[in-house]
Amino acid sequence: MADGRKQEFAVVGKSVPRVDGPPKVTGTPIYTVDMERPGMLHAAILRSTVPHGRIRRVDKSRAEQAEGVVLVVTGEDLKTMPGIDPYFGPAFRDQAILAIDKVRYIGDPIAAVVATRRELAYEALDLIDVEYEELPPVLDPVEAARPGSPLVHEQLRPAKAFADLAEIEPGKATNVCYHFKLRRGDVEQGFAQSAHVFEDWYYSPPAQHMMMEPHAALAWVDSDGVLTVITGSQSPSYVKGSLGAIFGLPQNKVRVMVPLVGGAYGGKLYDKLEPLASLLTFMARRPVKIQLTREEVFITITKHGVVSHVRTGVSQDGKILARKVEVYWDTGAYADIAPRVVHKSGYTSAGAYRVPNIWIDSYCVYTNKPPAGAFRGFGVPQVVWALESQMDMIAEKLGRDPLQFRLENVLLEGDLFATGTPVHSAGLKESLEAVAREIKWEPGVRKAVKPGTKSGVARAKGVACGIKAVITPSISGAIVVMNNDASVNVLTSTVEMGQGSDTALSQIAAEELGVRLQDVRVMHPDTAVTPYDTITAGSRSTYHMGNAIRLAAQEVKRQLFETASDRLEVDPDQLVARDGRIFVAEAPTRGLPIPEVFQARFGARGATLQGQAVFKTYAAPMDHETGQSEKVTEYWFPGATAAEVEVDLETGKVRVVKLVEACDVGRAINPHHCEQQIIGSALISLGQTLFEQMILENGELLNPTLLDYKVLTLKDVPESAVPIVIEVPHKDGPFGAKGVGETGTLSVSAAIGNAVYRATGVRVKELPITPEKVLRGLRAGQ
Amino acid sequence: MGFDLLEPRTVAEAVELHARDGNAVFLAGGTALLILQRQGLPLPRRLISLRGIPGLDEITAGPGGGLRIGALATLRQVERHPLVVRRVPLLAEALRQVANVRVRHTATLGGNLAHGDYRLDPPAPLLVLGAQVRAVGIGGEREIALAAFFRGLFETALQPGEVVTELAIPPTPPSGGTYLKYALSSNDWPCVGAAALVALDDHGRCREVRLALTAVAAAPVLVRGLDELARGEPVSDRLAARLADIAAAQVEPVGDQRGSEWYKREMARVFARRALLAAARRAEAGPVGDGTKEPVA
Ligand SMILES: Cc1cc2nc3c(=O)[nH]c(=O)nc-3n(C[C@H](O)[C@H](O)[C@H](O)COP(=O)(O)OP(=O)(O)OC[C@H]3O[C@@H](n4cnc5c(N)ncnc54)[C@H](O)[C@@H]3O)c2cc1C
Repeated sequence: MADGRKQEFAVVGKSVPRVDGPPKVTGTPIYTVDMERPGMLHAAILRSTVPHGRIRRVDKSRAEQAEGVVLVVTGEDLKTMPGIDPYFGPAFRDQAILAIDKVRYIGDPIAAVVATRRELAYEALDLIDVEYEELPPVLDPVEAARPGSPLVHEQLRPAKAFADLAEIEPGKATNVCYHFKLRRGDVEQGFAQSAHVFEDWYYSPPAQHMMMEPHAALAWVDSDGVLTVITGSQSPSYVKGSLGAIFGLPQNKVRVMVPLVGGAYGGKLYDKLEPLASLLTFMARRPVKIQLTREEVFITITKHGVVSHVRTGVSQDGKILARKVEVYWDTGAYADIAPRVVHKSGYTSAGAYRVPNIWIDSYCVYTNKPPAGAFRGFGVPQVVWALESQMDMIAEKLGRDPLQFRLENVLLEGDLFATGTPVHSAGLKESLEAVAREIKWEPGVRKAVKPGTKSGVARAKGVACGIKAVITPSISGAIVVMNNDASVNVLTSTVEMGQGSDTALSQIAAEELGVRLQDVRVMHPDTAVTPYDTITAGSRSTYHMGNAIRLAAQEVKRQLFETASDRLEVDPDQLVARDGRIFVAEAPTRGLPIPEVFQARFGARGATLQGQAVFKTYAAPMDHETGQSEKVTEYWFPGATAAEVEVDLETGKVRVVKLVEACDVGRAINPHHCEQQIIGSALISLGQTLFEQMILENGELLNPTLLDYKVLTLKDVPESAVPIVIEVPHKDGPFGAKGVGETGTLSVSAAIGNAVYRATGVRVKELPITPEKVLRGLRAGQ
Repeated sequence: MGFDLLEPRTVAEAVELHARDGNAVFLAGGTALLILQRQGLPLPRRLISLRGIPGLDEITAGPGGGLRIGALATLRQVERHPLVVRRVPLLAEALRQVANVRVRHTATLGGNLAHGDYRLDPPAPLLVLGAQVRAVGIGGEREIALAAFFRGLFETALQPGEVVTELAIPPTPPSGGTYLKYALSSNDWPCVGAAALVALDDHGRCREVRLALTAVAAAPVLVRGLDELARGEPVSDRLAARLADIAAAQVEPVGDQRGSEWYKREMARVFARRALLAAARRAEAGPVGDGTKEPVA
């Protein structure tokens, strides 16, 4: 579909302003948290105070008597409710709407109170008495993976909700809910042939999505019995299916609507509050809304804490001969989408380089901690942190310039990835070269810095790169409706959560139909009307939904051309659509404005033309034992980072002076928005590199507020933060486009860690890079 | 979450209300109380708001170049007040670094002191300025030197039911002052805060050195015994380093997520030294205080 040659587009490739910009900056959009319904009730959730235990007794009688309380529900009640299957989850149906028999983390929902006011619902929580029989908590993912560890889940039910997870089968009596394996070549022989072997442990802590709008859902049952839920979800189509399964409803009796979403970053995927809100509205027979507090968001879903062990063998002349990687994903009490995270980051765990011999074991491990799921970058940043830190250590040992060392080994077009898949449209080299140019990379091995005693500050630059694959297979459906005034409604289930999909998808529709950008309106998900879409995540919407819209628009165009060709007495294939007209390509004055085509076809006001399409991608099934597949993914996202840092040698504090991030986007549908995505994701990563970490002690989160969990603020942004858009067009992308939402997260931490090392000689292997860790390293080195 | 809000019109009435219900709590800006509530401590059923008492937020000139700051003045009011900027720029400089402008618009100076948290910024500059707290209780009014005010973690010299009404800052000798806030990220609480005031004699030698540190012990620390070493000495890196060692020996850090006990002690030393040197440079450049020309704000 992509045209290899450079082609002039009217709307695509232009940095048009966001279509949702003016309403957002004037504060007019209504988000889920703003929604109300007449007669609406509010719910609050009572949560476990122990990390692991059996529920002996829940006494709700006092709460039921409290002011304003309409009803109180517990997991015990769920057991006896007819027609309800209370378990959900996209990979395993391991989570109950309210905990049944057992609690698995501090924060696990135990009971819900529905009251006339939100405050009253929360107040009544204190009146519920819970008795636990405490069980030994499972806290360390590496230990939890060993046989004989106490179990978080005694039994697992695979969910089979998605094609790429269809084959997951859990082991018996283990906390390892998923084990990804990749075997390529002979890794032991590779090590035997290596001149140097490197072996290190790395850690990346659990972190928060920190979306501005907390999770919220408003549910009610319509007069015709349709369960209707408004929710700030990234996966409305999935939620529709899941609610249908839980409540035994046909899919046309479940309606999920998603307005604009105030940020998500992977934290609003799959079932979150929707099952509980639905249950409560069925019971209360009135609309019920649940909205989490920030403290509750902290323990609802997290970015995985990850322990990695990386062993790499290299030849004296700098070829990577073997790599053995062992990764432990601390997924907390419920698997959520973690098996997919582990699978997808699993097969990229050998990095962005040509490596003939690879052995990967990636374990998804239950613990008694808040659940971990998707987070922008989908696990790859944690793995790249380990791999790319070690790349610099190897380069130094070999006496090589780290940039050059990478460029010599990096995967190029047609090279085989660890999975045996040939790499296409992966501008890794281009990205590395671009960031090096921008940061004015000075080639060379690290020179031991003489601390400038005068200034007390050491300065240096670092680089790193990473690669991620898009989820495959997946499906996007679109309906394009053209009105007789040439205005267009695009019906999709893509969620606009701040990433700019409304704008990019409008651009694609406008380009294909030859109308102006302002003629197109992308409608927000309403599963009663908009077609199925796998998820809005994984940087997949521009490519998948873009292709679906393009195909659907072509169907509309075909009908326009059909009518116009009669009128103009030319073959349809001689026609083009541009500037709101259908005309003969060779004779542009011979044409008709679109409204006249409608007039000719229908002769009626208000008539519409529809086109619809489903775009689906395929993957070649992976071999279970070796992780090999001819086609593991539809496309790759490569990115590179360069950072220049200043380290205060007395305090260890790192100041990032300049941050450069380059990402290959295929083709930029909107270059400025690509830049914003690139730098936005790089800055999220910068915060996680320097500040962010959820501090847990015995399963309890010690910093569940923004006072104590520090995120990057504007004042912490480097003086210079430069996004670079690399375009290596994809043969099947809409106009050559791929995706860009996550690429900037991949290699920031490692680039900064490498720069800190080059400045100070201190190698920090556990994120975040706090001043104290650097100072301890400096002292130890003295 | 429901509570009764009592709104006395005089300090006497506020004290009286508290005497009737010992569990009631005074409310000023409410920023600290709200944090406690969000962290799971239930708000008391009865709040005695001090916000409606007229005159409690006034800032006026004290005798001989000093200042009086009403306890209900917000941090932002104090930071921006021309008298503060002119007479004690050190305080304005410190307040500018507290939280963010929205919090400073609401939080009060009296509330900040009465809260007694170990990691607040304002106590450090106020300690080196030798501030006095005026408090009114059922037994009448008294003055407490700030140096004797902080007792421990969330513990002050205030008796239950005592209201802080005012803070008196005596005239400062001609000197240079600074407050260095060391935070791990912007908008954060301090890992360490260091306030220094250095007065020099005509030969540029130390006449008086004051230093206070915050977030490095259960209560803010006014460092003792600096003058013995410093008086009559020229300011040098070496002197500053020796003074900083004295300071580091007097802190008793509580490790928190912003630094272990070890790290905080090290940072107390680093920022004590940096603050002393910066204050001395300012004293050399043009001292502020009693009998000297006031800098242009
Ligand atoms: C987001 C945020 C960030 C912050 N960051 C910082 C920071 O970087 N540095 C820093 O120093 N501080 C910081 N703070 C703390 C802030 O400075 C204090 O919360 C504030 O100064 C307390 O004043 P208040 O008027 O709001 O007190 P309140 O919350 O009203 O009261 C605090 C306590 O003092 C008592 N009290 C109040 N006034 C009186 C009085 N006149 N007499 C007797 N008792 C009284 C109350 O009963 C209560 O126990 C931050 C606060 C927030 C919310």
